Amino acid sequence: MTDILETKALSHDFSGLQVLENINFAVKQGERHAIIGPNGAGKTTFFNLVTGVYVPSSGKILFKSVDITKAKPYRLNRMGLGRSFQITSIFLKQTPFQNIRLAVLSKNKIRFNLFRRVDRMDEINEQTHEILREINLEQEAHLETSTLSYGKQRSLDFGMALATEPDLLMFDEPTAGMSRDESQTAVELIRKLTENKTMIIVEHDMDVVFSLADRVTVLHHGEILATGTPREIKENAGVKKAYLGETEV
Amino acid sequence: MDPMTFILITQLVHGLAYGMLLFLVAAGLSLIFGMMDILNLSHAYFFMLAAYIGYTIAGMTNFWVALLLAPLVVVALGMVIERFMLRKIHPFGHIPELVLTIGIGLIIMEFCKAVWGTQSLMLQTPEILSGLLNIGVFRYPLYRAFIIFFAVAMMILMGILFYKTRFGTIVRAATADADMVNALGINVPLVYTVFFGFGTWLAGLAGVVVAPFLSVFPGLADQVGFDAFVVVVMGGLGSMSGAFVGAILIGLLNSFGIQFLPTAAPLLTFGLMALVLSIKPTGLFGVRQ
Amino acid sequence: MIAKKSAPSWKQWVFPCLVGVILLAYPWVLGTVYTNIFIYFAIFSVFAASLNMLVSYLGVLSFGHALFYGGGAYATALFLDHIEGLGLFTVILIGGAAGAALGLIVSPLLNRVKATAFALLTLALGQLAYMACLKLRFITYGEDGVGGFPIPDLTLPGIASINMMTAENFYYLAVVVLSLCLLLMWFLTKTPFGSIMIGIRDNPDRVDFLGFNLPMTKAIVFVISGFFAGIAGAVYALFQNLVTPDGAFHIMTSFTPIMMLFVGGIGTFAGPIVGSGVMTIIEELATRYTTQIALFNGILLVLVVMYFRTGFVGLYLLIREKLFQKESS
Repeated sequence: MTDILETKALSHDFSGLQVLENINFAVKQGERHAIIGPNGAGKTTFFNLVTGVYVPSSGKILFKSVDITKAKPYRLNRMGLGRSFQITSIFLKQTPFQNIRLAVLSKNKIRFNLFRRVDRMDEINEQTHEILREINLEQEAHLETSTLSYGKQRSLDFGMALATEPDLLMFDEPTAGMSRDESQTAVELIRKLTENKTMIIVEHDMDVVFSLADRVTVLHHGEILATGTPREIKENAGVKKAYLGETEV
Repeated sequence: MDPMTFILITQLVHGLAYGMLLFLVAAGLSLIFGMMDILNLSHAYFFMLAAYIGYTIAGMTNFWVALLLAPLVVVALGMVIERFMLRKIHPFGHIPELVLTIGIGLIIMEFCKAVWGTQSLMLQTPEILSGLLNIGVFRYPLYRAFIIFFAVAMMILMGILFYKTRFGTIVRAATADADMVNALGINVPLVYTVFFGFGTWLAGLAGVVVAPFLSVFPGLADQVGFDAFVVVVMGGLGSMSGAFVGAILIGLLNSFGIQFLPTAAPLLTFGLMALVLSIKPTGLFGVRQ
Repeated sequence: MIAKKSAPSWKQWVFPCLVGVILLAYPWVLGTVYTNIFIYFAIFSVFAASLNMLVSYLGVLSFGHALFYGGGAYATALFLDHIEGLGLFTVILIGGAAGAALGLIVSPLLNRVKATAFALLTLALGQLAYMACLKLRFITYGEDGVGGFPIPDLTLPGIASINMMTAENFYYLAVVVLSLCLLLMWFLTKTPFGSIMIGIRDNPDRVDFLGFNLPMTKAIVFVISGFFAGIAGAVYALFQNLVTPDGAFHIMTSFTPIMMLFVGGIGTFAGPIVGSGVMTIIEELATRYTTQIALFNGILLVLVVMYFRTGFVGLYLLIREKLFQKESS
């Protein structure tokens, strides 16, 4: 299988403070890959580099063998890279239906249509309802999103990432701030949504990682410490030391 | 001395005097924005109100009493507005704040017109400052030299206040991270109110000082206000050194521009502001939007 | 539930028909003075609604919207002054095109800034236009402005030629043109493009990551907003038969629609129209007792921002809700 995402000697610093150093990383088509590491390991920075929020200090990022090192977010999305946000990033004053519909419009490449009423575009509205069904938000489709529970808002966030039908889905700590129950529901939802899809998940919670990922990469102090299957990672002595050693502080 | 040199020197000193005045107005505007994230569009109207009040007080007593009291009146007004109006609408974002300060500006403007009329009023230069300054062959109105001296003194005072006192330390810390300072048990909202008052005080001082220099008229706020905006934008919102450099630049541009390019001078000011904002939205010395 | 498509009933036609009848009868019932006031109200409704596209849909505040309005007014006046035989709708469209062109020109600049910097940049651009208008005398005639240009008749080929110099005739023209503008703007908010605009107000980063080109989308909004402001300016120029720097580009010309927007209520489509109506009525009443209208405006603005951020439209919705609750309980 080919690599869908690849980084070559990727480094980044914030005004002199080295956050990521020489990251060579690859994700294969169809793989669910998790990136873990203690706080401050550079996970979120890595995520932001790949998703075009920051431009790296040096190194290259390839998506489907195309150089995306300096690409803007909207370009990445059109190329097939979808993401969810760590801090839920949805349209709070609108309904879940309107949220998802915006993503569906983008997927159908309807970007500058000034000539038709959107609520009369049956095809679009049908697709929107389909996604809402998948993320179990049909009941709440027409409530104001800000009134929904945190877990449901997160589901909506996933749904929007999914609705543009990306070839690679990226999740940034999808269960952060969730209760145990909510977290389990979210993991189930992600598992269902990413069936046979390629995914990168940046995560803190070990249970989530080991139940979702095919392969795991451990970041530590801005460098890759290890890559392997969940089983290999669990048994890796270096990872144990780095991870447990620091989380217990 | 040949006439050209004379004109150049006169315009230079005039430009510096106007620039230093602008600095006093712009400094308050910029400080308030830097710390509280509020762009106070009524700032220039506080400045004008102080000029009018100063005119009245000076008429009853003298210039020095006016310089002491008139700014305090606008400080009180400014603090009331911060405490009871701006603070209440801060959570709703910058648009309501901007609109509220426009409204306050309109009210002050109409109030001034109603009380003092639309005529241009001239505050008498205090006797001690009314002569000419003799420097070699060069003679210059003493009052303009006083403006420069006064503004420099205020600048030094601000420096001491910010870097040598506890209030300054708190202010600088609160600018960097308000929540943190709040958590340390310091009453940050109170600091904000006092600070807003301080910024308004600077504008008030400038207002009284300007009265004998430019005279007092209803268009004063717009004239100086627009220039102060250009200064703040050029220097960078929230930056003191930026406000200083910007003020001197605009002061000189104004005086030389009017002398040599009377048609293009006002265009130049706003063109410069648009240019700086489009190239570097944070201004020359600014770090954030 | 999707918006239910109820069977068309006679009830939903009552309100539009009523409005139509009132608009038709208005000049004959109330006379020339009130007809002219209504035209003023209609012009500012469209001007404020064009500003509303930026405030309520992109979430930015323009302090220099007079740039587009004045640009449209001057374009129309200058074309009529220099070129003979232009049709009425042609010159109105020229005004709109001038506004749109200005929107296109400034959009690369406006796209670089947000929030407070956006307000300041638009302020600078508006003032720049004002100063330029005063100083470029060989084009704009300076303070005197452009006036006394011929107002073309409305010619319907083969049917009639209608003189536009009478208040009543001009009233019908203004009402038709400006209603059409409001209708088009309203329709726009219902299109997919409208959904994207609302998305940008709520969460621009997410819109970016949904694959929409933010700068391009915003540029289109600036152009459309400029177009409608330009049309409002064009109608104003024809109405006054005189455009001056103060009327077209002064900072108060930019502030007036902002006040109307807030008094009416931001975040709604009806806000600017209601606000324009309320402000026109207040101004009309206030001028009978005082010359200091700006004082009333200032106080009203402060009160609205402090206590009624949803404006008059919000007030109406609140009252309706209260009444409805009483009925149901």
